Amino acid sequence: MTEAFILIPVVLPIVAGLLLEFIRKLNKKTMNLCVVAVLAIEAVLVFMNMGKIGAEVELFELTDNLPIYFKIDNLGIMFAILMVVIWLLAGIFSFEYMKHEDNERRYQGFYLMVLGVLIGLDFAGNLVTFYMFYEMMTITAFPLVIHTGKKEATMAGLKYLYYSLGGAYFALFGFYFVFKYADSLTFTPGGVGINAGSHETLLLICALFMIIGFGVKAGMFPLHAWLTSAHPVAPAPASAVLSGIIVKTGILGTIRVIYYIFGTKFIRGTFVQTVWMSLALLTVLMGSTMAYKEKLLKKRLAYSTVSQISYIMFGLSLLNETAFEGSLLHVLMHGFTKCGLFLAAGAIIYKTGKTKVDELRGIGKEMPIVIWCFTILSITLIGIPPTGGLVSKWYLCMGALKSGIAVFDILGPVILIVSALLTAGYLLPITIQGFFPGDDYDYSGLEHKEPAKTMTIPLIVLTAGAIGVGLFSTPIITYIETILATF
Amino acid sequence: MDFICNFPFFSIMISMFSGIVSAVLSRKAAKWLNLISIWVIWFLSAVLLYYIFGTGEIIVYKMGHFPAPWGNEIRAGLLEAGLALFFCSIMLLSMTGGRKKLMGEVVEEKHNLYYILVDLMLASLLALIYTNDLFTAYVFVEINTISACGLIMIRQNGRTIEAAVRYMIMSLLGSGLLLMGICMLYDITGHLLMSNIRDAVSSIYSAGTYPVPLTVTIILLTCGLAMKSALFPFHTWVADAYGYSTVSSAAILSSLVSKGYIILLIKIIYRVIGFEVYRASHIIDVVFVFGLAGMIMGSISAIRENDIRRMIAYSSVAQIGYIYMGIGLGTRYAMIASIFHILSHAATKSMLFIGAIGLTDVSKGSRHFEELTGSGYRHKIAGITFAVGSLSMVGIPLFSGFISKLLFAQAAVLNTRKMLPALIVLAISTILNAIYFMKTVIRIYTPTEEEGERITMKQEKVYALTCICFIALNIFIGMCSQPIVDWIGAGIDMFA
Repeated sequence: MTEAFILIPVVLPIVAGLLLEFIRKLNKKTMNLCVVAVLAIEAVLVFMNMGKIGAEVELFELTDNLPIYFKIDNLGIMFAILMVVIWLLAGIFSFEYMKHEDNERRYQGFYLMVLGVLIGLDFAGNLVTFYMFYEMMTITAFPLVIHTGKKEATMAGLKYLYYSLGGAYFALFGFYFVFKYADSLTFTPGGVGINAGSHETLLLICALFMIIGFGVKAGMFPLHAWLTSAHPVAPAPASAVLSGIIVKTGILGTIRVIYYIFGTKFIRGTFVQTVWMSLALLTVLMGSTMAYKEKLLKKRLAYSTVSQISYIMFGLSLLNETAFEGSLLHVLMHGFTKCGLFLAAGAIIYKTGKTKVDELRGIGKEMPIVIWCFTILSITLIGIPPTGGLVSKWYLCMGALKSGIAVFDILGPVILIVSALLTAGYLLPITIQGFFPGDDYDYSGLEHKEPAKTMTIPLIVLTAGAIGVGLFSTPIITYIETILATF
Repeated sequence: MDFICNFPFFSIMISMFSGIVSAVLSRKAAKWLNLISIWVIWFLSAVLLYYIFGTGEIIVYKMGHFPAPWGNEIRAGLLEAGLALFFCSIMLLSMTGGRKKLMGEVVEEKHNLYYILVDLMLASLLALIYTNDLFTAYVFVEINTISACGLIMIRQNGRTIEAAVRYMIMSLLGSGLLLMGICMLYDITGHLLMSNIRDAVSSIYSAGTYPVPLTVTIILLTCGLAMKSALFPFHTWVADAYGYSTVSSAAILSSLVSKGYIILLIKIIYRVIGFEVYRASHIIDVVFVFGLAGMIMGSISAIRENDIRRMIAYSSVAQIGYIYMGIGLGTRYAMIASIFHILSHAATKSMLFIGAIGLTDVSKGSRHFEELTGSGYRHKIAGITFAVGSLSMVGIPLFSGFISKLLFAQAAVLNTRKMLPALIVLAISTILNAIYFMKTVIRIYTPTEEEGERITMKQEKVYALTCICFIALNIFIGMCSQPIVDWIGAGIDMFA
């Protein structure tokens, strides 16, 4: 029975969030305190679950042979820790930021609920549980997207919903066939064993469908268009978690399906792998180019997410250990960085109301801490040593070179490097203009606009985290190797 | 406990007599009689279900103590008792949810008539579920049609009269075909009692004596009942009938009446024609194709609608298509999925109608999408109810709709020949469902500057309670699906 305790981190935020939706008489201060308390307890609980790797619990059977089943493994716990940490930081940031938006209570309620659902997603032990939480995540995150209630937000929300549901059904379509041909749907490292028989092509098509289906959440071409509409319209802390965390669930889904259900042997060398690699590389290049051309700051960051997440996808598609390590490192690195960048953008919008990149001249003089953080995070994302981006990209490139797949072993690293250059091209001008506005800049209108401490501190912590992932990558890689060892 | 064997008979009779008695009662007394009789039948069905679970035996009740070929029989197995219980629950919720609207929309002198019609409707549904006699089934099909017409027409305006006439024409055509089918069956077998017919049919089939009449009979029976349950392309009456009648009627018609006919069809397949014979005839493929067509066409019609009630009505066409698709797959597992979908759709569709009425109430009575903007904030519980119903229809896990889609897909995967079309259409139709239901949910939760009338839960306690029951029922079906599936499976085995 004690095993059921691993579900507390799943239930707690959902219950707290639901309560928050229904308790009217709560002033803002107590509400914020409650939210931060729940987030902190949640973080502690998830860290405690680290010691319970291998714990499993089966709740009930949905239909024949389809139990709702949770199991904690190394991969799940890694994602869960990333999620709670970033959720806590973005949560603290949101207290100040949300002051200029309405309906704070609704926002915080759903914010907590999404976290619970995400933790459930991490701990899901089989495909049907995973799918359940995946759909619930789509639904609970929806109010965050349309929070402002403007027409633009609603339209973007619709787009988000259609793409997400469509993607989930793509995955579900594959799921039906896997259910027929696989021995079980429980996530087993290295694959569950597929008795394809003469239907190998059919199952490969299913695998591709599931990759594309989960790829929707990860913003992979051809179903990426929702991401760049939906992420920028949400309030900044919500965009930060949407872009930093929720896209990662698509990655988690892909890992679970390919590495834990089909098994890498089944996919390696097939057309599925080729298509997957091509789509990922295409997205990397396209995302960076679009970001380079984009004028709105938040939208530029969203395009950057499209590109960066496909780095991870590319790493996964190579199906070798080095690239897998690179991918998971990039998950952590990008989680911290993109969340930080969005929070910085949020701080700028909150204090100055400026949304376009061109308007940000001299911003570094007005809010130095925020722009310093922004700069460091940009450098991390580009991959300039000694930051986190370098290590993960290094592993990704090494993985590609090692893979020995014709064309892609060279093309991959080339595209990754070109994209890194483009990343520098779209992020650094903000810093440059911000700190060096040029001779003709009028310094007289300069005001001190540094935001409150509840905004700067999470930003600084995230920046530190992003650097930390780079500097102390060895223990992380050792940890990822324990995941790899199970395959 | 021989006494319990009388319960199916009691259920039908209580409902029928309370209808007759209501004619001379006052309006209030009729209302209470209606409520109490549904509750009593609910309770009787629950006891019966529990009893059959315990003994595992089928109850066969001889009407008037006449033995088989001459007498009339009632037969209750697990499935029958459970369906009676379920139908009573939905009936109860539909009545309480639409009570206030009924008061407003129907002239006072006709309230009595309304309760009479509802009682008769319930009696005929129960009889369709329990009877073991094909001709009795036909009689109650007609009673059902008449009371359904009355339920549509009770709210008197031009649209409802037109709708009732359309419904009557289509429905009587269906009854006619059904009657012809029964006549032909009587002609070639010489029996009216279901079990006897099946023995005769199986010997005829193995002897191969009447191949053409048998096929024609199957066509007539299937076609007649498909017409009455609004399978595409016989669905044209649906939008008006569900769209303009008073909300309780719409909920009852969409979730119970059409389902009653499908239950009768399933009964005919198992207990009259025999599953193997039915499967060997190629009618099943035709049913499958029309089911698929209905899944797509119903949703497309719904997408084009600009009126929330008519949209929900067209969505019924799509859902009926799912059920026929399951029947068309022609396996035991697919049949379980179909019956599960009957339950899940009945629970969800009535919920959507009840939710929608709350939303239109706070939008100046208009049912058009422009006016509904933001109504989810003005009437919170109705908004939540509608949203939950929509999510269930789209097939989001947690709610009942997901399980039925899962069951359909699993059943489809087991049928190699029909797998691909079934899965592809299932996927397309799911996305189409998402398009129109999500569009509506977003519409009702889009804030507006316009301040409309607001209704809180405290103002409409009964309505709010009904909504909560609906949500609980939906989540219950969605979460505890395994026992329900087991029960359906055991019930189907008892059928044969």
